[in-house]
Amino acid sequence: MFLEIEKCQACAICYSSCPAKAIDIVYYDMSSLARYLENARDEYRSGSLVIACKGSTPSFEDVGKLFGISEFIPLSVPCVGRIPAEVLLEAISTMGIKAIYILACDEDYCRFERGSLITRLRVVAVNALLEQLGYGKEVIRFKQRSLKVKADRNKCISCGNCVFYCPYSAAKLEEGAATFDLELCRGCGLCVTLCPALALDLEDWEEERISTLISKLSREKTRPNILVMRCQWAVFPELDEEFDSSVHIIDMPCAGRVDPLHILEAFRQGIDGVLIAACHEEDCGSKRGSKEAQRLTTALKKTLSQIGLEERLHFCSVAPRYPESFREELCRFKERIESIPSQEVRR
Amino acid sequence: MPIQREDRKYPFTGGQTVIVTAQKPLDEILDFLSPYSSILITGCDGCTQPPRGLREARTLAQLLELGGKLRRKDFNFKVMTMPKQCDSYLTAAALQPQIEDMEAILSLACGLGAQTIAQVLPHVPVFPAQDTLFMGAEIREDSTLEERCAACGDCLLAMTGGICPIARCAKSLLNGPCGGSQHGKCEIDPEKDCAWDLIIKRLEKLGRLAALDEIHPPRNFGEVMRPGRVKG
Repeated sequence: MFLEIEKCQACAICYSSCPAKAIDIVYYDMSSLARYLENARDEYRSGSLVIACKGSTPSFEDVGKLFGISEFIPLSVPCVGRIPAEVLLEAISTMGIKAIYILACDEDYCRFERGSLITRLRVVAVNALLEQLGYGKEVIRFKQRSLKVKADRNKCISCGNCVFYCPYSAAKLEEGAATFDLELCRGCGLCVTLCPALALDLEDWEEERISTLISKLSREKTRPNILVMRCQWAVFPELDEEFDSSVHIIDMPCAGRVDPLHILEAFRQGIDGVLIAACHEEDCGSKRGSKEAQRLTTALKKTLSQIGLEERLHFCSVAPRYPESFREELCRFKERIESIPSQEVRR
Repeated sequence: MPIQREDRKYPFTGGQTVIVTAQKPLDEILDFLSPYSSILITGCDGCTQPPRGLREARTLAQLLELGGKLRRKDFNFKVMTMPKQCDSYLTAAALQPQIEDMEAILSLACGLGAQTIAQVLPHVPVFPAQDTLFMGAEIREDSTLEERCAACGDCLLAMTGGICPIARCAKSLLNGPCGGSQHGKCEIDPEKDCAWDLIIKRLEKLGRLAALDEIHPPRNFGEVMRPGRVKG
């Protein structure tokens, strides 16, 4: 077998499906998953495990509601298709997990095309096996969902931005307002970022929700205070990912949802530097999200240069197939921010 | 920042006319706003391109707040938008409930918007956040806005294959290209197409080149007495 690394998206579906176990991976391998579960069992004091694809939800509280449970061990992975059947079996048989809940993306929405489908089939097979072994019926519950745009017709000014920019042709101008075919919408959020009337929002990644998060993070006192807005597909964090207390991370559904208004809000609230981490243009799962994010960041930097803040905003392209690329970018950015004299504009 | 919005009373069709504007340098805006603290920033959901609605108004408020701090100046901005700032009735109706305690208004509309505000609110100073550039068409694929009509009042598009030499030829020539037309580009700015090259190619394609046989006398620019006014 030969691997063309520059094409690899690190989805690990090959790893989870390889019958010969000939493929190994960097992120979320068997031993790190086992370690995580062991620690989490004590921390969350629960025998229920929720495995959710990053693509379908940002908040575990909502996932709990979806399955009707309140206490559980959360495990967020980029595509549930990377979790092999052995992990599910082992969690039940040897790690003291009593029930597993899996939330995948809708199948036609799956960032890696087959991850959700494969998981659905895998769950059927593992459930049958567990039943035969006497663990009971449907030990693993499985649900699929995806994010969608929310449009307010009363606010629409019919400018046509969403119609032009939607990578999936989901938007139309009808009867004087934008309407969306939600079957086609893939929840990238690009239209939300480009709507001049603020008439659109993205389910689970509402403008308000991101603003609240930024306010919360900007209250941290450590200096310099760095906010990273990164595409969830551009960086696959380690299960025990940790940064020093000056770095605050917000994972976004796509770099296309990084809103210049949120960047400005961060600066206004005293954040010293904002780093945008996007996929490389050719990797972008929502076609033009990364490209437009770069365009918007460049335009904003140009405006910020009028008030001397351009150095505090940086856009970078990274990919999970190069696991160190994000940390290196972050490290360079942090050094740069540290070298700038303390922010004049801070309150 | 509280956001206010007028309820829309009519279906919005949008995009018939496009007035192209460019944001003024932040320093210039900060200079003329410096005597005031409480400022109402109002967008316009009309035809301005890029759209200068609520998003732009909020963005500008944040930028000015950051820029103000550099000058040790704290502003209190209130942000809103309205359907058409060039409409005196709609503008008065949208602004009147918002101006209490506001010392000045910053308009994100074209020059028409700021002047309409000056007309309907004689006692409140109004400032433009935009430089109004031209009436343009939007070529989405190239992210370009291009001047295509000069509002001359004497339209000759019927003769020129639907391409206006008044707006699109740097010299506004009436009877064919000048000697500076090179490979379809303009000598004044080689980035731009020569309008006459476009006209001739298009008429050729349509089999209507004969339309150019007639010599056009100088235009009657008195067709619209400036300042223009239409009553009724």
